[in-house]
Amino acid sequence: MIKILAACVIGAALAGGLALVGTTVATNSSATAEPVNESLYNYGDR
Amino acid sequence: MSGDDAVSHRKGPIQVGLPWLVGLLLGVLAVGPGLERGFVLRYDMVFVPNPPLGPVQLGAGEGFPRAVPSDAFAALLSKALPADIVQSVLLLAIFALSCAGAARLVPGPLVARLAAGVLYAWNPFIAERLLLGQWALLLGYAGLPWVLSAAARLAKAKDLPRLVTALVPAAIGGFSSTVLSALVAVPTALARPGSARRRLGSALLAVAAVAVVSLPWLLPALSAADGGARTDPGAVDLFAARADTPFGAAGSLLTLGGIWNARAVPDLYGHPFFAACRLALTLAALAGWVRLLRRGSLGPAGPGLTAAALAGFAVALLGTADPGRDLLRALIEAWPGFGALRDGHLYTAPLALLQAVGLGGAAMWLAEGAGRADRFGTVAAALLLAAPLVLLPGLAWGAAGRLAPVHYPAEWTEVQRRVDADPAPGSVLVLPWSAYRGLETTGPGRTAVVLDPAVKLFERPAVWNDDLRVADGGTVRAAEGEDPAARAVAEAAARPGGAGAPEIGALGVRYVLIEREAPDPTSADGPRHLSENRFSPAIRASEKVHDGPLLTLYRLPDEHVGAVKVDLSGLEVTGWLVTVGSILWSLIASSSNLVSMRPLRPVGAEPRKENPS
Repeated sequence: MIKILAACVIGAALAGGLALVGTTVATNSSATAEPVNESLYNYGDR
Repeated sequence: MSGDDAVSHRKGPIQVGLPWLVGLLLGVLAVGPGLERGFVLRYDMVFVPNPPLGPVQLGAGEGFPRAVPSDAFAALLSKALPADIVQSVLLLAIFALSCAGAARLVPGPLVARLAAGVLYAWNPFIAERLLLGQWALLLGYAGLPWVLSAAARLAKAKDLPRLVTALVPAAIGGFSSTVLSALVAVPTALARPGSARRRLGSALLAVAAVAVVSLPWLLPALSAADGGARTDPGAVDLFAARADTPFGAAGSLLTLGGIWNARAVPDLYGHPFFAACRLALTLAALAGWVRLLRRGSLGPAGPGLTAAALAGFAVALLGTADPGRDLLRALIEAWPGFGALRDGHLYTAPLALLQAVGLGGAAMWLAEGAGRADRFGTVAAALLLAAPLVLLPGLAWGAAGRLAPVHYPAEWTEVQRRVDADPAPGSVLVLPWSAYRGLETTGPGRTAVVLDPAVKLFERPAVWNDDLRVADGGTVRAAEGEDPAARAVAEAAARPGGAGAPEIGALGVRYVLIEREAPDPTSADGPRHLSENRFSPAIRASEKVHDGPLLTLYRLPDEHVGAVKVDLSGLEVTGWLVTVGSILWSLIASSSNLVSMRPLRPVGAEPRKENPS
């Protein structure tokens, strides 16, 4: 029984993840530009 | 799993080859557009056309040899292949070695071994380090499973060739890679069965193997420390692990994230849904690891890797709290070598391996049995195999386009050819006076930050500002650089009137290279090349030998240049010979390579001749 439950939970998580990725790509809602401090090229931002 | 179970999962060519193929495919998926012709430039990942291979690349010079011997290895391969293809091969090798190495540690069915391989080749650690451009470190990371396996069998000196062979990726990677390998190899050798004396002997053999492959960078590092190179203890705060998930710094580190640089985090990484699912995956992997440990399936690799992962996690946690930072600062002030502990996230690599093998253990549990419910378990194990990919989508396709190839303008190779053709010794001073440049990679608004490629372009030493500027809470803080030559040049430029040709020539500078498109780091609204102006007295006295749209190259008058040819010391040459000789001897003596090295056996299945105790 626990393995059936595990398959369902993992499957649901993967489906949710794929749906989230799909909608993000479709709506282009993720960040497309990295922040760069204009002329000041730091090694990084904390 | 018993010894009988291990035998029941004996591997054929497909079982052995599939993890390599999956790793390769994961590499193609991760690097994506970066595999096209051209160079992927990002932070510390700098490859240049016709990379030089001379004493400087082999470790000669004054600063810490952070790119030794990785740059030399890339340059050596570039003698046979174009340098951009060498870069692609190295990046793909990281994924293939990682996946195949982790897969062979799991004493279970193919689906379980692939689950381990996929997680080890596709996780936040590898994603964030790749986005920071640390390909050399990742080579060492990819070699960790092989090191673990070899250290678990290290009983006598005759077993050393196997370990030295497994250490080859770390040997190429250099400093950080070998430190990580030592962190895994020594506890694993100590965990071998037998008396305390035998265990200690195994651990000493592991230390000796790591030391032998470290000589190319270790000897120059020791002489650099004597020569005034130092580590800034003030940078402990800057490079400490930070929270990049909703679970705080500790939770982020536990899920293999937490890198200090916010720009090295993949897209969608901190999304609560993905973060929560990855935390669940981590807990499942830890449960799988405990199950494998309790069954004694891993032999000495089990307790060894547990100890390494706990120690690495503890080091990573040090920087997240004030008492730990105070301790790190005190250690670095006592000895600059402890500067290696500043970037704590690095030390979660053994935890990544532990979780990968643990996920394989969880998949083993799911896939066991033959009943109706067990068929669902097999489906669950197959789904588990895909989970690392789906839950870390930001690594796919060149980390969502961030790993894109660029082509060097012909002017760069023209300047390179001109400087390398000059037999007169002396370094190249690189201006503007900052370490990192912004490159337009995939179009306007998409700028990649990269270490100035000019510092790796020439056979002679480059003098550049190796202070690291980090934006922290709206203010920019600088971690002091390590190169004494750079400090001396900066002091000369800071004097009233700036640096003249006699001043910087006396410091060994022969050429001054100005990158005209690189914005000045010292002023957003002042003169475009303010730092160049600090060197204008020297430039006015110099001969302009190249003047292009992007680069201008000046040559200082001979009478001002007090340079001697940089060369390796006799000790450093000996170190190289010992390391290369040991690796060649190991390859021959073990009559094997990384592919043919046998996987781990459970304690009860270990051959008597390898385990006389």
